[in-house]
Amino acid sequence: MLFSLKWLKELVEIPCSTNELVSKFNLMSSEVEGYSKMVEASNLVVGHVLTCIDHPQSDHLHICEVDVAKEVLQIICGAPNVAKGQKVIVALEGAVLPGDFKIKKSTIRGVESRGMICSLDELGIDHKYHQEDGIHVLPSDAVIGDNPLKLLNYDDEIIELSLTPNRGDLMSMMGIAYDVSAMLNTSLHLSECKVKEIAVLNPVKVSSETNLCKSYYARVIQGVKITESPYWLKARLIAAGIRPINNVVDITNYVMLETGQPLHAFDYDKLQSNEIVVRKAKKDETIVTLDGKTRILLEEDIVITNGLYPVALAGVMGGESTQIDNSTERILLESAVFYGLTIRKTSKRLDLRSESSSRFERGLDPNRTLLACNRAAELFNTLASGNVLSQVSYFESQSLVPLKVDLSLDKLISVTGYRYSNELVASVLQRLQFDYTQNDNSFTVHVPTRRFDVKTYQDLIEEIVRIAGYELIPTTLHSSSIPGLLTTVQKQRRIIRDTLVSLGLNETITYSLTSELEAPLFDFEGHSSIKLSYPIVENRGTMRHSQIPAMLEVLSYNIARKNTNVQLFEIGKGYTANGENELVSGLLTGIYNDSKWQGISQKADFFLVKGLLESLFKSLNINNVIYSPMAKHTDLLHPGLSAQIWVEGNLLGWIGKLHPSLLAQKGLPDVYGFELNFNVLVNSSSPTVKMREIPKYPSVTRDLAIVIDAKITAQDLMNTIKKAGKKTLIDVDIFDVYQGVNIESGKKSIALSLVFQDYTKTLSTEEVDQLVSRILKAVSQELDGQLRS
Amino acid sequence: MNVKQQIDLIIQEVKQQICSVSSMNELSEMKAKYLGKNSPFGQLMSQMKSIPNEEKPAFGQTVNEGKNIIAELFDQTKTSLEQKAIDEKLMNETVDVTLPGVNFSVGSKHILSKTIEEIEDLFIGMGYSVKEGPEIESDLYNFEMLNLPKGHPARDMQDTFYITEETLLRTHTSPVQVRTMLETGGNKPIKIICPGKVYRRDDDDLTHSHQFTQIEALVVDKDVTIADLKGTLLVLAQKMFGQERNIRLRPSYFPFTEPSVEVDVSCGQCGGKGCSMCKQTGWIEILGAGMVNNAVLEAAGYDSKVYQGFALGMGIERIAILKYKIDDIRAFYTNDLRFNRQFK
Repeated sequence: MLFSLKWLKELVEIPCSTNELVSKFNLMSSEVEGYSKMVEASNLVVGHVLTCIDHPQSDHLHICEVDVAKEVLQIICGAPNVAKGQKVIVALEGAVLPGDFKIKKSTIRGVESRGMICSLDELGIDHKYHQEDGIHVLPSDAVIGDNPLKLLNYDDEIIELSLTPNRGDLMSMMGIAYDVSAMLNTSLHLSECKVKEIAVLNPVKVSSETNLCKSYYARVIQGVKITESPYWLKARLIAAGIRPINNVVDITNYVMLETGQPLHAFDYDKLQSNEIVVRKAKKDETIVTLDGKTRILLEEDIVITNGLYPVALAGVMGGESTQIDNSTERILLESAVFYGLTIRKTSKRLDLRSESSSRFERGLDPNRTLLACNRAAELFNTLASGNVLSQVSYFESQSLVPLKVDLSLDKLISVTGYRYSNELVASVLQRLQFDYTQNDNSFTVHVPTRRFDVKTYQDLIEEIVRIAGYELIPTTLHSSSIPGLLTTVQKQRRIIRDTLVSLGLNETITYSLTSELEAPLFDFEGHSSIKLSYPIVENRGTMRHSQIPAMLEVLSYNIARKNTNVQLFEIGKGYTANGENELVSGLLTGIYNDSKWQGISQKADFFLVKGLLESLFKSLNINNVIYSPMAKHTDLLHPGLSAQIWVEGNLLGWIGKLHPSLLAQKGLPDVYGFELNFNVLVNSSSPTVKMREIPKYPSVTRDLAIVIDAKITAQDLMNTIKKAGKKTLIDVDIFDVYQGVNIESGKKSIALSLVFQDYTKTLSTEEVDQLVSRILKAVSQELDGQLRS
Repeated sequence: MNVKQQIDLIIQEVKQQICSVSSMNELSEMKAKYLGKNSPFGQLMSQMKSIPNEEKPAFGQTVNEGKNIIAELFDQTKTSLEQKAIDEKLMNETVDVTLPGVNFSVGSKHILSKTIEEIEDLFIGMGYSVKEGPEIESDLYNFEMLNLPKGHPARDMQDTFYITEETLLRTHTSPVQVRTMLETGGNKPIKIICPGKVYRRDDDDLTHSHQFTQIEALVVDKDVTIADLKGTLLVLAQKMFGQERNIRLRPSYFPFTEPSVEVDVSCGQCGGKGCSMCKQTGWIEILGAGMVNNAVLEAAGYDSKVYQGFALGMGIERIAILKYKIDDIRAFYTNDLRFNRQFK
């Protein structure tokens, strides 16, 4: 909400600086978005063009002799409309115009120029507000040497409030004045409205066929002369960001700014009836609105009809058929209240949100409907020579009496934590001009209808707290006996994050929304996607299933910036029709770790990434992890360098090298990755530790090399050995894998270190020998493996 | 010359010579010479026969004492020669200690995670639990239960990504508060914070991101006050931005709280005097808060005559932007490692 400070000062006493006023608004009422002078210019005077001749060296410049009271200046002016005898705005030497434009004495094509004759654009008034080309010509009675900003009423400051949706009351000068009066504790000077009626009766009948119209007041004014509005009125509209059009339209807008009540003026002669009927639109009914567009209506829209057909789209826009034009003489003035939600829907659907519709949406003071009608009538009489017919035709269904809200001092204190006194509460209510009755520590407040946002005691508490000042309230901490904790799952998430960071990975956070094409990638279960109904851009229109595509983008981004060694992880969600699925994902490329001068260099590869995961599993106490080939080959993962990861019969995720053709397509080097299901990971983890005694007896280590078919996995061999070794075999470690000379082709040798331990006694050589032969027997029977000779 | 004098002479001789011994070999040779078979002591002992019986014990003692002194000298020299050898060996192993050590990769936590964990820990210390919820939410939990019925003008404050008419990407983490209140059944106090990703239908630019991160806090009990809210906000501001900071509350509006406030923290750059960072106001807006609207409590099954509460909500990006002076919100999601790695 933009408004003129000069206007506000007419309505309420403001004994402080603009800075102080702004600060009060911020702390007690509504945030000030910005404030500035209406025109940021100095050294302007009214000048009189005495002579105006063409510049001999130019086809468009004029040489003017301009009387500025103290002297006569020669000024070169390029405006096509400058002429002898005009009163104009002159920027003298030393003037500074908006945009830090300094006026200096100069010579233009050999002729001296001492100043500038200004257009309104040059004063910083946006072109849309005046639509004048060339210099602004002042009225002939302007006094030479005077300040033209005063004459134009531009000697003003504009304040912009950033209104929250509840403060519809501040969408009027009267509302702002009431709040300022409460803020500053100063008096209001609202003017009384006096309508001069003629002895002709208003013939219009008003009725409503829908409860979506709360009230409707209509007056008829005849003999109206359409002209431009006076400077003061135009300036106030411009300050509020509204374009002046003609006196009739401007008056309706001005009164809307003043009271908050939107008004509409019909050309009564075009209405072709004496009847106003408000009703819901009929299905597929149409109306041509003021902007010349044909609008197709829905049954949920409200229309104003002349009893036969729609003449206006209620609260949104008037109809073209009853539009005011330069020959309009009789006006039907509408001041009505329509149901806000309906206006909101209609205006949103037709993309016709306006000053009016936003006021209907936020609410109106039912006691200003008639007031606004009369106020406009008064101005039609004084500014448009109109004669106001006697009586207002109306329909009214709203309650016009204040709402009673009870508030006890105890409640106020228990909610705020500050010990307000009865006197303080009473003084705030007085400043707000809320009537009340007080019974000991209880207040019954009669909330004026202009404050339709105040409905409950909570709303009243806010009024008291803000006007008395938030700084009164002390700072305390709420004591409670609830312990604050992270859940097990939250702790595990932190362990996962900390472990991956300590293993040298960098955490990323990427967007959940991606393109329809990328979204399902790396979801090997093939769920269907979740799509937005109205995305802003198509490449952010679908929820990702996997984090890998976005991380791959991050990896590409970094490689393109000469960072070829990238280690990433992300903990976030994938989203599919199957639900939200938290994931732990990683991508690595290039050198993982190196110490160059010592010749140490570890490249990211399958087993490096697998090792990182094994460390992660250790830190989460996860055992019994099983790797198996991917269920099916895809063009996303290398078929020979990828695996599914299982734990306790649940699919935990996958690990692998990304498919070389995918990488080639993106111009990337070898990239390895993994993606784990967070829930499976956390459910498999055993966070509680059971302490086991340190063995008192020594362990025995035996090394074996076993020759088996090359297709048998190390995992199968280990499982067979572990099963056969039972619990005495406490550790198996592979220390060599060999294929080649001395080993039959199609076979491989795996060398293992077996550690045996009995917690109750020292193992004898015979006992270990027995265990080893049992293991070799199992390996031979189950896997056809032999001890390497 | 008596025996004593002879022995002293030998000791003198050994003491003189042993100083110039520089190797173990020399030392062994010398030892053989003075303590071996043909040593001066051997010759002395051979005189024993010609000594009267009563003098024999004293003679023997004198000779043995002399031998012991010399043996001690040899031991001392041996120890010092050994030490010298070790010292020399170690000196030969000297390296350039200024060369770099073996590199171990150190990763980095995302600044948003780091900031969330910091705030979580602060609130856990004040007795809060951490609650999470789905990001794909129903209109009911995201809006309607929060006093934002369909068509409410305040819905314009949060432009929304809809999936269907009834499901959407949550625009704030407040639905987690609703879910928690419903879970507790309306008769237990609540003290939670809700971190998580949220989405708004905004074009991405320097200050807007269609995805961002929020932490909201909710306290519901019989005696929760605005003063408690103010105290909590002060702790938060001072922990996140420094002990010297102050806060102030300004009236605002959120449908789910009443009264509602915007919270400003005093500007760290100028200390409240006014500068370009705080647009000359001395204050910087950091978050929104308020007392839970009775309509919200009632909708979630709490009797608003008995229970009251406060809620606050902050954007983590905004907190991090102010704390680390980051000038582009998109930096959080670009994941340029030159940015990410600065936060450990």
